[in-house]
Amino acid sequence: MQTLEITLVTGSSGAGKTTWIQQQIRPIADTAIYLSLGSDETAIDATYLAAEIPGLTVLPVTHLANFSEQPPDKHVIYLELGFHVDLTSLILPDKMVVHRRVAVLPPGTRHPECHDWADLVVTGVKTSVALQQPHLWRSVLSGQVLDLASLNTFWYELTHGAYGTIQRAKGIFDVADGRSLYFDFVAGLPETTHLELNLPLWLNGRPDRFSGIEVVGEMLDQEAIAQTIKECCLNDQAIAYYQQQIKDSLEPGDEVA
Amino acid sequence: MKIAVMSCIHGNYEALNAVLSDIDDQNADKVYCLGDLVGYGPHPNAVVEMIRALDIPTCQGCWDEDIVEGLNACECSYPSVLAEKRGKLAHDWTNQVIHPEVREYLAQLPFSLRDDNLCFVHGSPHNQHEYLLPEVNAFVAMERVLATGADVLFCGHTHVPYVRSLDAGQLQIRVKVTGKSEANMSFSAPLKRIVNAGSVGEPRHGRPNATYVIYDTNDDQIILREVEYDYQKTCAAIIEKGLPPIFAWRLARGMEFAERADDPTHVCER
Repeated sequence: MQTLEITLVTGSSGAGKTTWIQQQIRPIADTAIYLSLGSDETAIDATYLAAEIPGLTVLPVTHLANFSEQPPDKHVIYLELGFHVDLTSLILPDKMVVHRRVAVLPPGTRHPECHDWADLVVTGVKTSVALQQPHLWRSVLSGQVLDLASLNTFWYELTHGAYGTIQRAKGIFDVADGRSLYFDFVAGLPETTHLELNLPLWLNGRPDRFSGIEVVGEMLDQEAIAQTIKECCLNDQAIAYYQQQIKDSLEPGDEVA
Repeated sequence: MKIAVMSCIHGNYEALNAVLSDIDDQNADKVYCLGDLVGYGPHPNAVVEMIRALDIPTCQGCWDEDIVEGLNACECSYPSVLAEKRGKLAHDWTNQVIHPEVREYLAQLPFSLRDDNLCFVHGSPHNQHEYLLPEVNAFVAMERVLATGADVLFCGHTHVPYVRSLDAGQLQIRVKVTGKSEANMSFSAPLKRIVNAGSVGEPRHGRPNATYVIYDTNDDQIILREVEYDYQKTCAAIIEKGLPPIFAWRLARGMEFAERADDPTHVCER
């Protein structure tokens, strides 16, 4: 019976779990498999890694059981655990053997649960906001197309505290010109602009691919966040208008979804 | 003579009172207002009543026009879909609470005002909705001032105060009249200035303080004034009146996003 060796990766919100995994996986992408546990339907990290690392196999968690029964011919599995996942509750399929447990934590952090659990503690990044009672808010936005100027305004407001104290925010958004953009914010780190994911332009109606947002913070005004995102979204008529403009400007050979 | 020029009060009664008090302290002889008395803020009627009571000469701003004519803003008024939706919310609220006599007052405001070699407008001499940002190209800037026949053009609308000198400007135009050969015509213009008064009630320069301008006609000195006031009181009133809380949040930080439009320097064709 073939057993599968996996690396479990946990850590605090914003410390850099996905970044560390990305560094490990990139050189061996063709033989690597990535799963994220705890992201539910908001597969931001999985979508980001799948787009940015050609050849990487990204599986939804719902495929985990089937996957262990009929494993592909690949040997390196990274399973990312959300910061909110209870490590003691983790039960893996029989055929999966934990190769190592990794915790990514901010510098100088003493986290008894993680330190006792992990074989390796990686020093990640320090966030400037320490939350007493972290709250996680998510929303799937697949099919929605956002106006980029509005999205930039919303993101500025969100990350500057208009809707509560934010420690971490990340999102993948489809915008009017067909691009899929990855936004990433960690309190205390220098602000970066968004990253265009390595995906084809979507120029035929509402996108049939993942987009969504995840926010970790305190005192979050979830209703206001959701309402503001809704107000950034374009209607069918506007989407068609912008997509036609982009199509008209494309050169032969441009990749379009 | 000292002239005080203020703009974009936006229903912020607290800020208006603070600025009027500061104008008194500066011993200004005259006060002009460049419009946008209403919109976004919680006290549109009180602001208009104060301006009327003091008999301050006032231009019609884009918000004043929209409250009179109905919302019909050109696309360039809003830098984003989100800004447009928020603008409409503010418009609907203001439209509901405004008193009939206040609406009548806003309707009769002039598009521009003149005082000797000074001209006062809200956005630009061509349109209340047009942004004369400091980086608008020199040709457009000069054309806007020359269109008024004045030497100093006072404007608002951007909510960011600035003074721009157009020194020894020269325009060269190639003219072709039917049946005749082309000819180059040059025009030299003396020093012209654009003075933006910023905003009393909704500053966008990164601080919550109200701004306005003092212009001394004797020595051509221009002073951009920044006045502290109890902005938290206005923020509380915004929320209490049922306006979107985000208006209070950005007021407390002196920020807005109009200048982030894809092309804020474009020429409005409305």
